[in-house]
Amino acid sequence: MIGARLRHAVGRETRGVDIVASLNLVGILLLALSPAFLVPTGVALGYREPPVPFLAAGAITAAAGLLLARATAGTRRVGIREGFLVVSLVWLLVPASGCLPYLLSGEKALASPLDAYFESMSGFTTTGSSVLSDAAVLNDSLAFWRQFTMWLGGIGIIVLALAVLPRLRVGGRQLFETEAPGPEVEPLTVTIRQTARRFLILYAGITFAAIVALVLVGVTGLDDEMGPYDAISHSLATVATGGFSPRTQGLVEFGAATHWVVLFFMVVSGTNFALMYVALARGGLRVFGRDEEFRLYLGLLGAASIVVVADLLRTSVAGGEEAVRHALFNVTSLMTTTGFATADFNEWGSLAVAVLVGVMFLGASAGSSSGSIKVVRHVIIWKMLRRELDQTVHPELVAPLRLNGRVVEERALRGVIVFVILYLGLVALGAMAVLADPASRALEIGAFDALAAAATTLGNVGPALGAAGPFGSYAHYGDGSKAVLTALMGLGRIEIIPVVVLLSRNYWRA
Amino acid sequence: MRILVIGAGQVGATIVAALHSDHDLTVIDLDPGRLSALSHHYDVTTVEGDGASRRSLQQAGVKDVNLLIACTSRDEVNIISSMLTKKLSPETKTIVRTTKVEYLEVWQERQLDADFLVSSELETAYAISSLIGVPAARQTDVFAGGQVQIVEFDVEDTSGTPDVIGVPLRRAQIPADSKVASIIRGGAMRIPRGGESIQAGDRIIIIGSPEAARQWSEIMARGVGRVEDVVIFGCGRIGTAVARVLLDQGIGVRMVEAVAARAREVAEEFPEARVYQATGVEPDFLERERIGAAKAAIFAMRDDAKNLYAATLARLHGVRFGIAVVHESISERVFEKSGVAIPINPRSITAEEIVRFARDPRTQQVAMLEGDRYEVLDITVRGESKLANRPFRELPMTGSLIGAVIRDGQALFPHGDDMLMPGDRAILFTESRRVGEVERAL
Repeated sequence: MIGARLRHAVGRETRGVDIVASLNLVGILLLALSPAFLVPTGVALGYREPPVPFLAAGAITAAAGLLLARATAGTRRVGIREGFLVVSLVWLLVPASGCLPYLLSGEKALASPLDAYFESMSGFTTTGSSVLSDAAVLNDSLAFWRQFTMWLGGIGIIVLALAVLPRLRVGGRQLFETEAPGPEVEPLTVTIRQTARRFLILYAGITFAAIVALVLVGVTGLDDEMGPYDAISHSLATVATGGFSPRTQGLVEFGAATHWVVLFFMVVSGTNFALMYVALARGGLRVFGRDEEFRLYLGLLGAASIVVVADLLRTSVAGGEEAVRHALFNVTSLMTTTGFATADFNEWGSLAVAVLVGVMFLGASAGSSSGSIKVVRHVIIWKMLRRELDQTVHPELVAPLRLNGRVVEERALRGVIVFVILYLGLVALGAMAVLADPASRALEIGAFDALAAAATTLGNVGPALGAAGPFGSYAHYGDGSKAVLTALMGLGRIEIIPVVVLLSRNYWRA
Repeated sequence: MRILVIGAGQVGATIVAALHSDHDLTVIDLDPGRLSALSHHYDVTTVEGDGASRRSLQQAGVKDVNLLIACTSRDEVNIISSMLTKKLSPETKTIVRTTKVEYLEVWQERQLDADFLVSSELETAYAISSLIGVPAARQTDVFAGGQVQIVEFDVEDTSGTPDVIGVPLRRAQIPADSKVASIIRGGAMRIPRGGESIQAGDRIIIIGSPEAARQWSEIMARGVGRVEDVVIFGCGRIGTAVARVLLDQGIGVRMVEAVAARAREVAEEFPEARVYQATGVEPDFLERERIGAAKAAIFAMRDDAKNLYAATLARLHGVRFGIAVVHESISERVFEKSGVAIPINPRSITAEEIVRFARDPRTQQVAMLEGDRYEVLDITVRGESKLANRPFRELPMTGSLIGAVIRDGQALFPHGDDMLMPGDRAILFTESRRVGEVERAL
């Protein structure tokens, strides 16, 4: 009834999009999120901390979802057109629901709704930027929730990346509509539900492996700091390429063994999940060698690390195993958009810092939970560049562009270019917005720092430079900057275009 | 032998001309004009009707026919008439002319009811490849669904390695699963014995597995300047079939196609080739792309006149060797007169191939090498054959050699101790004049 009235009320101007059906799906998804609050409730009970914030947040989320779903119930189906609206709304509302425990707990460090929303958005988008000067002020259950939002966001992102965005043809994502890397491999089932189920097992499996590995590091005495709680929290944030840590100094508080384990799982988590699934299902590692994105992903990780190692040695910041470990770890962390740090790279030489900011623009594989531009788009752009040069000399040449031997349609190529241009434009705009904020002057945020802040949030990386460096936080950023950076996190996560599409008048028209 | 020919077009007419004196021919065609022209020249029975209709086939007396040749220009008509014939008269052998390589693949998997398929495209492609004089694998024939290959090589001064060339065959490092079927030296062909050796300047013929054929190509291509650059104008079915054959031999191919959508399609299908969207008759394009530097140019556009123009223009730009695919008989003479390109007529090639088969229906595939001097036969060994149930070592070497046998669908490359069994399909190599002798013996 209400649905019919609502549909009638909004129907006239927005004949092109079924808003009611979209809201219905958003309601159902919120409802589906609500049981997740039971996990931190359990943690709270275990640590004898108040479970009420989580129960209340879960109840509110469930009630809101149910109300929305009921009010808009109908038989209309959500199509591709509605997908843009649903994706945008979900990534607006889920962080809102996720910040309720922070607000309800009365935690002073997150008392401001904007701060709580920033922290929650950073969690669900697996960014890892924080407004907390010291993450250790949170009690165990809140800190766990903060880690858990990342893990939840991570699986949401993988489904988004492999099942939803390809359908919406966002930023050339149609490339991955069928994920099979070769004709001999069966195409992965396309329905979202099946995709989610399939990758959830893989995702959970990798998380479990990471937890076991870290627990072993602690148990065997390789790193006495690593207890079960830390093992679980850091694994949740690693597999989601998130980067939150419940510790004040993050991973610096742990030893070399922990660093190498986390490094390994960051590399794994930055790999295309569809590729890993095929490798597991067919029991062959050769699919990795044949995948162009994977090869470049490892190649770029290696190349950037070598430059950073060289610069660390040259500037005598570190030497030996330490230099290699810090360089590899921090390059991998920033490139996979995880955001952990084993050292304060604010103190490193300019070349190393430039490389670290540079890799923020690379991202990891497209079918992972990492953010940023993603390696595959760089592969495409490189190939287009070469083709342009070829066609400059040979104007009549017809050269379809191939990825892993399969032809990429020209529309997908244009999608990639549009995405990258929008991405770079938003980084520039975001940096300007941060610099325009009066609070930024007091923090002595320079142009490069602002650029890093915009790049790190849009790319869902986490740490930036200066005050917001690996051991700093966004606590003292102005509210305007925080709002802009929160928006960038959300935009980066859903790859910008769904939101931009909503801004065009033609989207709403029939 | 009673033969029924479906289709009295160019191919049908060529076949009738070749077979009418020795066989009893009936021709079916829809066009009375073509039929009367044929019956005017040759002593043949004609039936006006559709070859894909059961009534026409019955009217033509399909039940008493030994061989059906379905050679209209339409694949589907040819296939249906073969299928109907197999139903109406199971004893009749059938030959089907096809233009699609896909049908050939289906037939090789025994999914198509016909005894023999001739693909115009593929036959033309092989003919062109062989004209270009590619040093590796000049001509490849395929038997038993690709399990057995016949490959012919010119041994150059520089080719090969000392462990293969110039040493007695029994000591030479010859790829496993292959046999040197023949050595042609100074116009004489001989089936070599273990004491003889391959010399530079010889032409040799190999029977073997696909892997062995590939190894032979490598051995022979060593030291020989590879043909790097062939330009194909026109990416129709013949153009692409030629491209496929050349690319498979590792030759660099440039393809020129005027229609944008087709150019894109071809570029997607042939990642190894360079595809240009151009008409082929723009001087600017020819100049810019240095078409004159190509080793050979193949003109496979639809229009004979356009091919002639393009071939002439290409000659002006320095192309020394041109081959033109022609569609009208008269065009062959036009091209010969002009001298700008060697004409290849797919219809004549198809007809020749069919005629070869018609000589002996028991022979499943016939590949003619070196004109009429020797042939590769694919013959099923009869139970009453004197040679059956004997080891290969004891078989007489009467100017022929069994390169492979197909037993239960599997190719075997026999050694001296293996036995020849009744029901085996023997792929054998023989001098043309001994074909009858061999067929009687098996």
